[in-house]
Amino acid sequence: MCALSSGVLSHLSLLEVKARSRKTQLQQQSRVMELKAKVEALKTQREQLKAQIQTHQVWGLMVVEANFCADEEEENMDEESENSNLLQLMARHTQLKDLLHAHHLIGGYDIIKTRKGKGACVSIATAYENVFLDTFNLEIDLKPTVKISRHNIPPFIPLNNLAEQNNMQTDLRVFLDTLSQHLNAFVGRKQQLKLVKEKHKSIEVMESNVLCSLLVLLLTVPREKTAVLCTLDYTDHTRCLPTRVHLESEDKQLPDSPQWKKNCTLLMETPVHKALITMKKMGSIV
Amino acid sequence: MDNTVKRLLERLVRRIPSRMLKTTLDKWSRLTATQRQSIDYTESKWALTEKLLAICEVFMLVSPWFHTDVIENPNLGMWYAFQLMDPQDDAHSVELTQFKEQFKSHLSELIRHVSIKIKKHTDEAVWIRIAWGDTFSRPNHLKPTYVVHYLQTPYVFLSSLTSKQKPLLSQALVLSTRYQAIKDANLSGRKLTAIRDLLMKQYLQVFPTKFPSPLAERNRVVSNLHIEKEQAGSAANRHQMACEAFGDGLLPQLQSAVYKLETKFRDHTNKTMTERDEAFRCVVKFASTNLLESLRHSASSGVASTPVTPLLSSVPLKGKNYFVITDNGPGPSSQMKPSQK
Repeated sequence: MCALSSGVLSHLSLLEVKARSRKTQLQQQSRVMELKAKVEALKTQREQLKAQIQTHQVWGLMVVEANFCADEEEENMDEESENSNLLQLMARHTQLKDLLHAHHLIGGYDIIKTRKGKGACVSIATAYENVFLDTFNLEIDLKPTVKISRHNIPPFIPLNNLAEQNNMQTDLRVFLDTLSQHLNAFVGRKQQLKLVKEKHKSIEVMESNVLCSLLVLLLTVPREKTAVLCTLDYTDHTRCLPTRVHLESEDKQLPDSPQWKKNCTLLMETPVHKALITMKKMGSIV
Repeated sequence: MDNTVKRLLERLVRRIPSRMLKTTLDKWSRLTATQRQSIDYTESKWALTEKLLAICEVFMLVSPWFHTDVIENPNLGMWYAFQLMDPQDDAHSVELTQFKEQFKSHLSELIRHVSIKIKKHTDEAVWIRIAWGDTFSRPNHLKPTYVVHYLQTPYVFLSSLTSKQKPLLSQALVLSTRYQAIKDANLSGRKLTAIRDLLMKQYLQVFPTKFPSPLAERNRVVSNLHIEKEQAGSAANRHQMACEAFGDGLLPQLQSAVYKLETKFRDHTNKTMTERDEAFRCVVKFASTNLLESLRHSASSGVASTPVTPLLSSVPLKGKNYFVITDNGPGPSSQMKPSQK
């Protein structure tokens, strides 16, 4: 008797559970349908709003154009001069943008607006011997004062000093030109050092520094194998050529010999990696 | 060979991981080729150390200076960055020999028993190893201080320096580099290369440009095309802002960022805290195996809101990972004392 009733009861409870779940399933299904319908409705609403925005934009432009045309027809002096001023400004704006683009193409710096006119970002490209090398960037705040907020310029380039000395606040162009000079010269010197290390394995670089403003090379004279220590000082950081060349040798007469005096001048006037090639050809060094 | 030197050599060899032992010893130019060949690397490390000691005993060639590969072992401890302030006119033309002479003479004047070794690494870094002694004892080579400096930059990196030694070292550094002061740069980490790259800006920074290069293909598994379509724009935007704040590609590995807060408690539902007169002091520490990557990912995935708050973006921007935030303004940038930039 008990077994039978428990069997029946358990069967009944199973049926009850099934019935309940069917209801919730139905509810779930209807809920899913509701949500899907809502998604469709929202999507249509979004498309409508997008279309409205577009219309407004086009309408705005059309109104401006219409004003231009209308005013031209009416020949109203004040409005015409105002519009011609506006047109002149627009022409000047386009001209400046083209100039900036051309400047960027020839390897100068490029500047773009950021944060809706409150900031600008300058990209300074560097090159040496017709090869583009690193690009440096500066993010500048324009309001309330002109201030550098972020940059990737290495710390041995005296950025803050240059900003002060060149009055970055009043003359941004001069500051950027000077900075570009410093960066291009640094990259040029760095590239020369790299080429010396790559192409002249017989010459040992005794000393150099991160700014590439000092270079000490150990040269060897053929036959006698005398060592010559050549120091190149690049004290003018806006140039790729040294300001001073100093030679030292175990052979005290050597630096004063006419051949080495010529080599000295060569090193002052030609980039070091090229000067070394010439010196090798002339037989001064190995 | 006295015991301290012997112990030092044992400890140094023990610190080198076994797989790097052969390469390190090959680079150590004090051993001749025959000596190097005589070392059997299949032996146990203990046996190797004994062998090495024997070679050194015979020739008395022990020098506590090992190749910098050993020194750059990240288990050396914490590195701290310092910044030199107010350069004098000739600071930019300080060259290596001059710096070496000046530093050695200044530090020797300040402390009698000190052992200084200066070496220039191939990447233009000047490494200084200082073993400190005092009036009564010889320099302790087991606890040396390491200093790394790049000439013509204002940054100095220090490891293992006690508070007693700090003023002496600071004085010597300031005088030999021709600056007027030195201050804590509030940046520390286990990897020297990481804090150096952060300060010298040697990682890939992202700037707004007119012709943005497409960000590298990220092979994301797209679970739902609809979600992808709706979210693609804002996801790309968040990624761009995260990269502009922290950088692209591999980022320098910082382990932590600490914010020390001294502000007023602002939650009005908690009266006991808001009614206190004293400032609310709290220290918040973010820790990670690569903190900058974690922060960048949290910004690009939307966990941290974009544009990235200056509190987080100051870490790479200012090159600091220790900030003190007081009530004078909304972010760390306004708390900096005028001398700190």
